[in-house]
Order: sequence, then structure tokens, then C-alpha cells
Amino acid sequence: MTNTRLRTILAVLLATAMIAAVSSLIGCTTDGDGDGEKTTETIKVGVHTSLTGGLADYGFAAQEGIKLAGDDLTGFEAGDKKYEIELVIKDDKGEPAESPIVAQQLIDEGVVAVIGALTSGNTNSAQPIYAEAGIPMISGSATRADLVPRENFFRTCVGDNIQGKALADWCVELGFEKVAIMDDRGDYAVGLADVVEGHLTDAGVEVLREAGQEGDTDFSAQVAKIQAFAPDAVMFTGYHREAGLLYKQCREAGMADVQFMGGDGIKSDEIADEAGGAANVEGVLATIGGIPQDSMAGWEDFKTAYMEATDKEPGPYAETNHDALVAIVEAIKKGESADPADILKNLSDVEVNGVIGTFGFDANGEFEAMGGSAGLATIVRYKIENGAWVSAD
Amino acid sequence: MTFEHVFRLTMSGLTVGMIYALIALGYTMVYGVLEFINFAHGEIFTIGGYIAITTLVWAGVDSDTSAGVLIGYFIMAVAVSVLLTALLGWLVERIAYRPLRGASRIIPLLSAIGVSIFLQNLIILTWGPEAIVVPTAIVPSQVVVMFGVPIRVLALIIIGVSVVLMAILTYIIRSTRIGKAMRATSQDMEAAEMMGIETNRTIAFTFIIGSALAAIGGFLVAMYYGSLKFDTGFLYGLKAFTAAVLGGIGNIPGAVVGSLLLGLVENYGVGMKLGGLAWFFVAGLALGLYTQTIRVPGRRRRHIRDEIRTPAYERRIVNVYRFPIPNALKVALGPRTDALVSVSARHSLRLAAGNLFLAVMAILFFLNHDSQFATMWQHAISFSVLVLVLMFRPSGILGEHIQEKV
Amino acid sequence: MQEKTGVWATARRFFGRVPRWAYALAALALAISVPLLEQADLIQTVWLRLGIRSLVYVLLAMGLNVVMGETGLLNLGYIAFFAVGSYTTAIFSSPRLGYHVDFWILLLASTGLAMLAGLLIGLPTLRLRGDYLAIVTLGFGEITRITFNNWESVTNGPGGIPQIYRPMILGLKIDKPGEFYYLVLIFVVLVAIMLTNLKSSRVGRAWNALREDEIAAEHSGIHGTSLKLLSMVISAGIAGLAGCLFAYYQQFINPTYFEFLQSVLVVCMVVLGGMGSIPGAIAGAALLDALPEFIRQAFSRWLPDLLGEQTMDSLPVAVQNFFIEFDRYRMLIVGLVIVVMVIFRPEGILPDSLWRREVREEDPREVEKTRQKLFDFDEGHQDLEA
Repeated sequence: MTNTRLRTILAVLLATAMIAAVSSLIGCTTDGDGDGEKTTETIKVGVHTSLTGGLADYGFAAQEGIKLAGDDLTGFEAGDKKYEIELVIKDDKGEPAESPIVAQQLIDEGVVAVIGALTSGNTNSAQPIYAEAGIPMISGSATRADLVPRENFFRTCVGDNIQGKALADWCVELGFEKVAIMDDRGDYAVGLADVVEGHLTDAGVEVLREAGQEGDTDFSAQVAKIQAFAPDAVMFTGYHREAGLLYKQCREAGMADVQFMGGDGIKSDEIADEAGGAANVEGVLATIGGIPQDSMAGWEDFKTAYMEATDKEPGPYAETNHDALVAIVEAIKKGESADPADILKNLSDVEVNGVIGTFGFDANGEFEAMGGSAGLATIVRYKIENGAWVSAD
Repeated sequence: MTFEHVFRLTMSGLTVGMIYALIALGYTMVYGVLEFINFAHGEIFTIGGYIAITTLVWAGVDSDTSAGVLIGYFIMAVAVSVLLTALLGWLVERIAYRPLRGASRIIPLLSAIGVSIFLQNLIILTWGPEAIVVPTAIVPSQVVVMFGVPIRVLALIIIGVSVVLMAILTYIIRSTRIGKAMRATSQDMEAAEMMGIETNRTIAFTFIIGSALAAIGGFLVAMYYGSLKFDTGFLYGLKAFTAAVLGGIGNIPGAVVGSLLLGLVENYGVGMKLGGLAWFFVAGLALGLYTQTIRVPGRRRRHIRDEIRTPAYERRIVNVYRFPIPNALKVALGPRTDALVSVSARHSLRLAAGNLFLAVMAILFFLNHDSQFATMWQHAISFSVLVLVLMFRPSGILGEHIQEKV
Repeated sequence: MQEKTGVWATARRFFGRVPRWAYALAALALAISVPLLEQADLIQTVWLRLGIRSLVYVLLAMGLNVVMGETGLLNLGYIAFFAVGSYTTAIFSSPRLGYHVDFWILLLASTGLAMLAGLLIGLPTLRLRGDYLAIVTLGFGEITRITFNNWESVTNGPGGIPQIYRPMILGLKIDKPGEFYYLVLIFVVLVAIMLTNLKSSRVGRAWNALREDEIAAEHSGIHGTSLKLLSMVISAGIAGLAGCLFAYYQQFINPTYFEFLQSVLVVCMVVLGGMGSIPGAIAGAALLDALPEFIRQAFSRWLPDLLGEQTMDSLPVAVQNFFIEFDRYRMLIVGLVIVVMVIFRPEGILPDSLWRREVREEDPREVEKTRQKLFDFDEGHQDLEA
């Protein structure tokens, strides 16, 4: 698989080299005409992600998505220049204390823009440093509601506030009167759960908030409390492993009719195994930010390319990270300059044609639909049917 | 609060408690023999589980495997895991602890912490940072209904297996040569050595037994919950240590009692309303006041005399709260006992502080009887138990007299 | 006694002859030069940031060294005091609750609150013996972290507190990495001087006496409990100070900074450097925090530049990957370092003489003789010439 990628990269390099050679040749022969020759400039784009640590899977998917975009776009033209993209990939290990160091490394490398960080915590601890250096950052996966607005931060994923409201709306639509919400005391899960709880309480739904620790295996006390509360739905806002354990233990305790729900952290194919069999997760509902992958403008091509490069299905947030690089390139094209300050300025009014559709950024740095992609920043509903995730709309 | 709710909490508390007990026994045996906290024991437990699961996956069991063959595979997996884990426990003792025997107290503990970190990262490098999942097809999923509450058969198996293992362990320690050697070593290592006991071999045996129990615990946890993660053992280890301290470290029945109690405390603590919990404080206060106010004229006077005569550092030894279970029973039966209740001013102060704490907690809980702890405080409750026990009663419930070797 | 010969022994004699303050000055000069080198574009800015983080760890290691190295009380929840300092600063100097308190007040408040926490934790627990104390402090450390994680109305829970204001000191706004570096360095130097004086004072010697033999020390008239409490409070205060500076520098904190592994890391720094040794604590912190990055940079950048790609490629791939991905093995090696150090070199890399004697159980007179030899200029000089 590395070979394929290597070959792709080599082919791209060879092609650009040939084009450069030919163009310079043309430039020589048609000396005096003045046009046709474009100076080539190499720009570095930072990839600030977590390749080791607990969220390494997400980091890998993000990295591969960005690499695909880099291979596609390198050698683009803006104004009278041609730009080669060089990706500088750095790993912050998922530790917020490491994140500022990685940020500084990328700045030292002379990147013009950064894609990342992977998580909200690491974005929070790196953002001041990028801001100081005037470098824009676009994250494809940092969803925490209080991250926006910041002077240099944009994102191509849906924030927790939007997803939380969608989850709450879904509960109301289904007519639930009592909902148990559980989080894993982590950054992402608590942020999402807070938003859901707020909206549900406003809508007059009775809420029970419970929590387990990420990495815990035993949720028996929580399950007993949930059972005593007798809710219509049990929602877990963290990641799939603990979600699977919770759903399994709920079923085993005899909650046969309760509806399980969750955010995008639980939408993984591993949840069935982790819940002790597909029967325990049949009918689980989950929301994901963005449009359904199947109806994304460039999804099929992206999936094919991704699988060719990695032999895997595209992981979570691969496409949003891919589009972050597309957005940076659009901003350079628009301003005809690869200066960080210009990119930062132009990012707020670009129109990006990415895998997820056509979008731009609003004043806060959240992405918003443009052109034909109505409803881009909405939420998609998924459901497990016969052991597989399908769209529930 | 219905009966079912409390029964549910009780059953889950007992199941978790039994798992704690399997780990706590390892802590407590090592402590009994060496007076040393084997901090890496939690990781040994995790590795035991990982090895068993890997063996099962490697053997290729799936839903088509017939029940008899499956049981054969289970036995094989447990055997492999117990053997390898016991070997690991022995290696750790041999490499990281034995060279430090006789060093000052915190040095071996540091080494144990190092081993713990090392093993945790070894698991990450070998099996990856993600959780490994037990093939769901092989986990028995039968359920029995007791008092209207569905209980997993596996939970009953865990309780049964733990009880059998503890019976075997008690037999080994009570009635075999090596058990006698262990007891002798734990009482006085030098004297045991002089009597011809090979203390090094005895200690190694202690580590092997503890690791084997932990491996079985790891396997049971993996089967019960369906997955294991590299840091699973860290928290289980800490909780089990808490349980061992609660029961009285160095005391084998104490480890079991403490584990069950901790399992119940954890589940009742977040599962019951404060009004229900307050009664536990009331009961504790009543028992405490009763035992503290019993008059034991003769013994008491002698104690006071003893204390005046002994120098300060020895008096501290005397003051360590000492209250083994037979004495507790005697006290409960009536005032005509010879229970040892030491009476120095500092000790009385500590008892008073403890009583005051219980009373204040009971009142606070009664005042807020309708609210309850959120489950996000569950781990904090366990850690509080650890801290409070160590502060007010370091010898635990069934603790023997703590020997301060000076 | 026969003088040892050979390169190692000669080097030892030679370096042993250089007075200690010369080493301290050299280290200080090196530390001061980092931002200057960065200004001159000789090194990348990232080294400055690594330097600041290492200096914060140096403060922590020196602080833990007081209680663990000098007094012999193992504290496994040390990072909780750091957390108290960090959160005090973050809460009162960020948009979170709308406070913007002055730097100096917060510095004092962070240190003071951490000291108070040390007092409250120390009072009921210090009569416990070494290993029990370690576990109790571990319990307190975890309770503190869980509390900060769950107390959402004030600490914003796991989301953490972002956008902490930059400090204003004497009308100067500190916001460049270089300025922060010097700010932390000043405090490191102040704390180091304070602790060096304390070490050789009556209090410091009493601590060492308590570490070596508590009973004997108490019989010599040392009030064990209050002195232990003092060491706990001082070490907590240093952690609070470090926490304050760290929060200002990082501008964002959340509970994941204060996990148990961080406490272990600081413990490892002290063990590696040498218990009871201030230079040891400094060296241990700098080594453990910055060395992994050094190794990674060296193998991915400097060595290929220096030796050429070909030489590097001739190394086995596994070896190259090991060094380039050194971070993956960092904690594994931290664990290994602790075990190896306590078994083979319990006195650490820059040992404190008293502690070395204690762990090596050497005859003090022998040690004194060797010391005299090591520090005897003339004799060593002749040796070198011969």
C-alpha cells in the first residue's frame, strides 16, 4: 500500500517535473512573448494531528485525507505563480502539553497555514501560538462549541452546539419524555452532553445525567440508576467502546425496549463487537455532522482514492480534513498570495468546492453552505439496521 | 427506592467486589510477606486477561465451536494465561524487587511504580492502545431472574470461581508446608531463615500465586465485560489495593471482606439516595460509640501504666488502633471482655474526630435526603474511602496490629 | 590506597576538581543563552518553548525533591498542587468568570493556596509511614483532579479554561516566548538559591536526619511532624508557583495536564537526578523532558545532515524508526529508567553525598577519604601529569 502511494507521489512529481521542463523549454523558445512562464513556489502547509495516543485512528484518517488533497492540488496556479504544496506532518500525541511544542515546530518550519488540531483541547492550547504568528488554522474535527469565535480559527466540521441541538430535536420528535444522558467525563462527551441537556430541559423533557470514566468497564451503578429512572431513551455522548459497554449492560439488566442514541463518537462498526453482539445495538441512533457521505459531491471519487492509498474505508473526519486543505488552496488562489496574513483574510470569503460540497466560512469561522449545497452544516441521522449503519432520514 | 433497585446494586457490588478480591489477594499476600506494595499488580492482572483472550482468538474459537470443545479451550486459555502471568510475576520479583530487599521503604515502591509504567506501555506496544474485544460468540449470555432482577450467569460464575479459589488459597496457607513457610516468613523473615526456610523461594511463590489469581481475575473481567484496555488494570489495581487496605492489609480474609465492602460502597454510594446512605453512617457511629465507651477496668489501667513507662516511639506502636475480629465479636457480645482499647490523648482525639465526622456526614445526608451523588463522583468515592481508612484506621477492619519496624 | 587509572577515573578526578559553583554558573550561562541563540536565528523557536516547559518541570522536580529527596516522603499526588496553582491563576485571569487579577497577587495566591492544600493534606497524613503516605497522596491527587474535572461551574470541567490573559509585570506585557523563558528562569534561579540555602540550614539538616532515621532524629530533639509538614508545605508552594507560571504561559489548561502519570514523571525526574540533590533535580527534569525531542531531532535531522543520508540508511530500519519514533517508547523508557536507577544507581546521576552514603551503606569515613582525594587539587594534579 505504501508502494501505491509512493508510486502516486512519484508520478505526480515526475509529471510536474516534465511539465516544468517543457514549460521552461517553451519559455526558452518563445522568448520575448513574455507570458507562458510561471515561477514555481513551494508552500508548506502544516498538519497538526495526533498519530499516537488514544485518538490515533482519527489522526491517521485525517492525515490520509489531507495527503490525498495535497497530491491532487499540488502544482495549482494562482495569479502568475505556480505553487507546490509540501505537507509538514507533526504528531502531538493527543497531549495538550505537547500541542504548543508542535505548533511552534510547524511555525519554525515556515508553514503558511495549518490544518488541525485534531481535538478541541489540543486546538485550545495551540491556538494562541498560531494566533501570535498570524497563521490561520482550520480544523476538520475540533467540535467544541466554545472554540469559536477566535481570530485565526476555522473549522470544516459541525460544532457540538449544532449537533447537540439536533440530538435534542430528534428526541423531541420521537416523543421521548424521559431521557438518560451519559458522558465519559472527557472534553468532547461532556461538551456535547451539556448542550443536549440544555435543549432537552428547555423542551420540557426530563433528563437524568450520568457519567462513567473513559476507560471504565463497569457501568452497573449507572445502569441501575438509569433503570430506576425508566427513561424512553439512553444517550451516550462519548466514544463507541464505552457506548457499547453501556448498551450491553443496559440490555443485560433487562431494559429491552429502551432506545439507544449517541453522537458521532459512537458511529463505528466496532460498536457491535464491543456491545457483545449485533443484537444489543440493533436500532441504535446516531447523528453525524455534515451531509450524508453518499450524497456528498465528491464522495465516490474520494473513497476510491482513499482506499487505493490506504486499503481502508475512509475513517471519520477524513473528508473534512481533506476539504480544509482545499479551502486553504482556494484562499491562496483568491488572494493570489501565499502569505499567512492574506490567507487568513481571504479564508472568510472563499467558496470551496470540496468533497463535502460547496461551502464557505462565516464570521465566526464555522463553515456554511454555499451554492447548491443547501443544508451542508446540518446533521445527518444514522441508524443501525440489520447490523449496519444506514441513513435514518 | 425499590427493593429491586437495592438488590440490583447489591448484586453488581458483589460481582465487582469478587473481582477486586482476586486482585486484592495478590496485594495483601505480598504485603503480608514483604511489607511492600506491589504497585505493578494491576498491570499483571491486565496482562493475564490479554494473554487469555489472545489465546482464545489464536485458537480460533467461534460460534460454531461446540460447548464441550469451548470449555476445553477456556481451560487451555486460562492455563496458558496463568502460567505466563505467574512467570511474569516471578520475573518481576526476581529482576525488579529482589535486588532491593532490605533497602529503605520507598525504594522498592519506586521500582514497582517503574515496573507498572513499563508494563502498561509494553501492553500498548504489543496489543495497541485500542481496547481488544472478546469474540462475542463465545461469551455465555444466559440470564437467570432472581427477585425479578435479571442476573447474568457469568456473574454467578465469577462469584463461584472466586469463592473456590479463595478456599483453595486458604487451604494452601493454612495446611501446606509452603503455606506455613509463608506465614513464618511474614512474621519474621530473619527468624524464618534461621529455621531453615528458604525465604527467597517462599517469596517467589507468593508472587506466583498472586499473579496467577490476578490472571484468572483478568480473564473473568474480559469475559464479563467483553473488552480490555491497556489501562484497565491500573484502576482495578488501585481499587483492589483500596479494598485490601480497607480489610486490613496483610490479612487474607480482610482482603475479601474489604473487596466486597468496597464493591458495595461504590454501587450504593452513587446508586442510593443520601437519605438511605445516612443510615450507614448512623450504624457506623453507633457501633463505634458502643465499642469506644465500654469499660474494661483492669486492662485499661494497665495500659495507661504501660504507656507512662514506655518511651515515646514505642508508645506510638501501642497506639496503633488494634481491633481484630474476635475481639470485635467479644465486644459486641457484652461488656465483660478484654478488648484492647488504647487511651492516649492523641488516640482519643482521633476517635473523637472520627465520630464527629460520621455524625456530621449523617446529619448532612439526612438534610439532603432526596438528592444523590452523580455517578461522575464514583471514583472519587473509592479514593475517599482509601484516604479516610488510611487516615483514621490504617490497620483496616480486620487489620492485625501494624508492626512498625523501627 | 591505589589511585584508579584509566580514562574514566581520570575524567572523574578532573571534573571533580572543578568547584561546584562553576558548574552552576556554566549551566546558568547555557540557560541564559538559549533565547539569545534563538534571537540570532541559530536555533529554532521550538527549543525556546521546550525550554520553558523543561524549566517548569525543573521547578516541579526541585519542589518534589524537597519532600521526597530531602525528607524522604514519597508524594505520588504532587501534580495536584501544580493543578491548584494553575487553576487559581486560570480562574482569576481569564474571561471564564470575568476576573482579571494582577500577576503578583495571583502568583502569591497560587503559591499560598497550594501551600494551604499541602497543609490540609499533610496534617492528617504525615504520621503515616512511607509507602502508605505515597498511596494517600495518590488518592488525594486523583480526588483533586476529579474535582477539577467535575466542578463545571467554575473550572468548565474537562473543557478546560482557554484564553488566559498574558501577565503584566511592572508595566511590561509578557507575551513572547523569550520573555516567558526569562520569567520562568528567574523563578527557577530564585527557588534553586532558596532551596540550596535551606538545604544547608538547620531545617534542611533536620529533614535529612528524619529521612535517614526518624526515631534517632526525634530523640535528638527534632520535632518530626512539624518539620515534615514544613517540607510538605514548601514543596507544595513551589508546585503552586510553577502552576501559576505554567497557566500564564500555556494560556489554556484542562484536567488532562494533571493526570497521575505526570506525578510519576516528576518522581522519575527526581529519582534519575538523585534524591536530595538540587542539581540532580534540574538535570533529571531537563533530561526527561527535552531529551526525547533531542533524540528525535538528532536522528531525523542533524545526523542525516552531518553523516549524509547514505550512512543513515546503512543503519537497520528498526533502529532508525526506534529513534525517530522515540516518543512512542518514552513512557516505556521512563518506567525502565526508574527500575534501572533504583537497582543500579539509587543515588542518581548527580548524587547528593549524604543520600549516596545512605543507599550505598558505605563507611562514612571511606567516603570522606575519597572525597578528600577527589577535591584535593595538588594530588590530583600530579596524578594527571603522571
